[in-house]
Amino acid sequence: MSAVGLRMVNIQKSFPGIQALKGVDLEAYAGEALAVIGANGAGKSTLMNVLGGVLRPDSGEIYIHDEPAEIHSPLDAARYGIAFVHQEMAMLPTLTIAENMFISTFPTQAGLIDYRTTNEQSAQALARLGCDFPPGTRVSHLSPGDRQIVEIARGLLIHPKIIIFDEPTSSLTRREKARLFDVIAGLKTEGVTVIYITHFLDEVFSVCERAYVLRNGETVGGGMIKDLTYQGIVQMMIGAKEVTSYFGQKADQAGELALKVEGLTRSGVLQDIGFELHKGEVLGLWGLLGSGRTELLRAIIGLDPIDNGKIMVRDHGNLKPIQPKDAMNWIGMLTENRRDEGLLLPMSVKSNISLANLRGLVTNFWPLVNAGLETTLAEKFVNRLAIKTSGLNQPVATLSGGNQQKVVVGRWLERNPTIFFMDEPMRGLDVGAKAEIRTIITELAQSGTAVLVVSSEIEEIMSVSNRYLVMHRGRITGELPGTADKDELVAAAAGNR
Amino acid sequence: MSTAQKSDTHSIAEGGRRGRVITRDRILAILPIAILLVVLVILGISTPNFMTTRNIVNVLEQSSALALLAVGMTAVLVGGGIDLSLPANLALAGVVGALFMRGGGNPFVAALIMIASGTLVGAVNGYSVAYFRMIPFVVTLAVQFIAVGAATWLTESVSIANLPMSFVNTVQFRLSRMPVHVLMVAFLTLVFYVLFRYSFFGRWLYAVGINARAARISGVPAQRVIFGTYAFAGMTAGLAAVITVGRLMSASALMAGENAVLDVISSAVVGGVSIYGGVGNPLGAALGALLITLISNSMNMLRVSYYLTLVLKGVFIIVFIWLNSLRRK
Repeated sequence: MSAVGLRMVNIQKSFPGIQALKGVDLEAYAGEALAVIGANGAGKSTLMNVLGGVLRPDSGEIYIHDEPAEIHSPLDAARYGIAFVHQEMAMLPTLTIAENMFISTFPTQAGLIDYRTTNEQSAQALARLGCDFPPGTRVSHLSPGDRQIVEIARGLLIHPKIIIFDEPTSSLTRREKARLFDVIAGLKTEGVTVIYITHFLDEVFSVCERAYVLRNGETVGGGMIKDLTYQGIVQMMIGAKEVTSYFGQKADQAGELALKVEGLTRSGVLQDIGFELHKGEVLGLWGLLGSGRTELLRAIIGLDPIDNGKIMVRDHGNLKPIQPKDAMNWIGMLTENRRDEGLLLPMSVKSNISLANLRGLVTNFWPLVNAGLETTLAEKFVNRLAIKTSGLNQPVATLSGGNQQKVVVGRWLERNPTIFFMDEPMRGLDVGAKAEIRTIITELAQSGTAVLVVSSEIEEIMSVSNRYLVMHRGRITGELPGTADKDELVAAAAGNR
Repeated sequence: MSTAQKSDTHSIAEGGRRGRVITRDRILAILPIAILLVVLVILGISTPNFMTTRNIVNVLEQSSALALLAVGMTAVLVGGGIDLSLPANLALAGVVGALFMRGGGNPFVAALIMIASGTLVGAVNGYSVAYFRMIPFVVTLAVQFIAVGAATWLTESVSIANLPMSFVNTVQFRLSRMPVHVLMVAFLTLVFYVLFRYSFFGRWLYAVGINARAARISGVPAQRVIFGTYAFAGMTAGLAAVITVGRLMSASALMAGENAVLDVISSAVVGGVSIYGGVGNPLGAALGALLITLISNSMNMLRVSYYLTLVLKGVFIIVFIWLNSLRRK
């Protein structure tokens, strides 16, 4: 750990009404992995966007290997050897892997694209990540995890001196993660500066040597990872607030049967799925990415067609078979991607909460939504779920992730669902917001709702579930009690029984 | 800053973004209106007889059918689609109703037939788009040809005239100097404005236009909503057919007008309806129709070539769509 690979001095950036970066200093050495940690809105993305040329700072200097750097655009950044692996993948699905990787820098021969070089180089970059898919594969055929790998490979193409990973693992499987960590280790030995942004503190401890913790646009702490503790980092991230135990109170035991699924099949996706869900329990649906977890939820509530199967819900004391298209009368759904599938971003908190209940806000024969009822409804859930907002008319796009998630929860609660499906309810949230969502899940179960939770994060799912269903390749391969430990869950998800 | 401090640390960065969007949005929201006012003032000064009652009534009369179509188009655009077949739909509906009257049919029933015909064609569009997931642009373009073709074929390219005077007189009836159909269109526009804005299906419409997937997962019957927008637009085409046929005292396939679609889309876009879906309302679109008519009217009075007028209108639309895309960023 010798030379200073990157120095950012007194970086300031403000947006009207808010100073996102209040003079941040950052130093990163060649050959180290540096974690930049912070809650949502702490300024870490802004800081990295400044480095990647996406945003221009109001003031401050950047030095790369002690040379002052003028970075005005992502292309400039690339010229200085800065690669930015974005979390949200901007890929062109109808083009091939190689074409996507080279989209801005195609090697040419006599003015035409040199496909041989293109394919060779992309295959090499992919091979470094231990992937052998042919570079001619269309991106639309790849899973989200594989796409993330391609995105990372694209970053490696320019042989970067500095590489920024923004939440690189959120859609990777365990094996892919391990491979990525090997690559990062390799990059470090080559003297590359790795900047690693993540919410997952576990990864920080296994990948990085040093950390900066940001809060409110300022550096509030950091140091060598070996001198830091998990608890200590969390404390720095969320400030003076008390850190509640990550493993909170779980819900009590289960009551009567609320949902029974038999023989549910969707050709090629779900095979003969059967399970039971009881009132008052939190059932964790556990499996690897691509095991069919999300697909199962979507099939039950009628968002995807099914080929076969029987779905029964408890209705007025009796178990009654229902059609998937009617399932939403009993089942609330929190989707894994709240921005794409949960929220009407430009609309107000109020309209977003009332969206699933508009018909209930209409008084007989008069199709107009009763404004008073709507406000009362929205206020009820803003208070009950402690949604932090400047007002009911605040556009939901401007809320933090945790509060956005609560808006979606509130929308469904008004319908009093007896069953609640939650797909990755804590994804992308910071530690504090995760704790709040966890509390909401537990309270829902305690009030008698049957909750089914999907999560890719073993800690998350373990922190709420009192029973687990294990999915593997579109089948339910097992069931584990709430007392199951991490190793048992991991083994079960991998298909070992 | 103060609001950001009051709320928790999470929303700090987002709070900043919001502040910027609002100021930028305000400017961009006011800009079209400012442009309109400038255009109006220029036209008012340069056009002789512009501010006479006669000319104003004339413009209102000319714009009422267009305004109805623009209101229909607004529903479709807000829902995230587009309907290129509206004027053709109008022509077919008018021809069918006129033929019915020529065959001795009751004028009131003929009006209902026109509305039903328009709604039916709209429903075909809607069904194809919502349930067969066909591309609106292509489906409605094809339906446009079908409707114009059918109207021309039914009339053998001849104008259907000599309609019952009771029909013509009813449509052309005036309260003092104001044609009743203008008042009716104004009234309907206000009703639809309220329904779009405050009714639950209006909310569904905006929800689908902003984020169809989220709407669907929240239990909004998105397919029915999309279907409804096209059927509704078809209905406005039928109503507009009644007005147009009554005003012209005849019906022909030519009512589809070569460039009529352009006028309908420009009315909506100029009136603040986003072609990207989710934004806009019937009132704006109707005012847009008024403005488009005014421009045509003034150009006409200034003896500007029809073709140059087309060029200017095209430029006008591009400018407004550009402003539209700025607002989206």
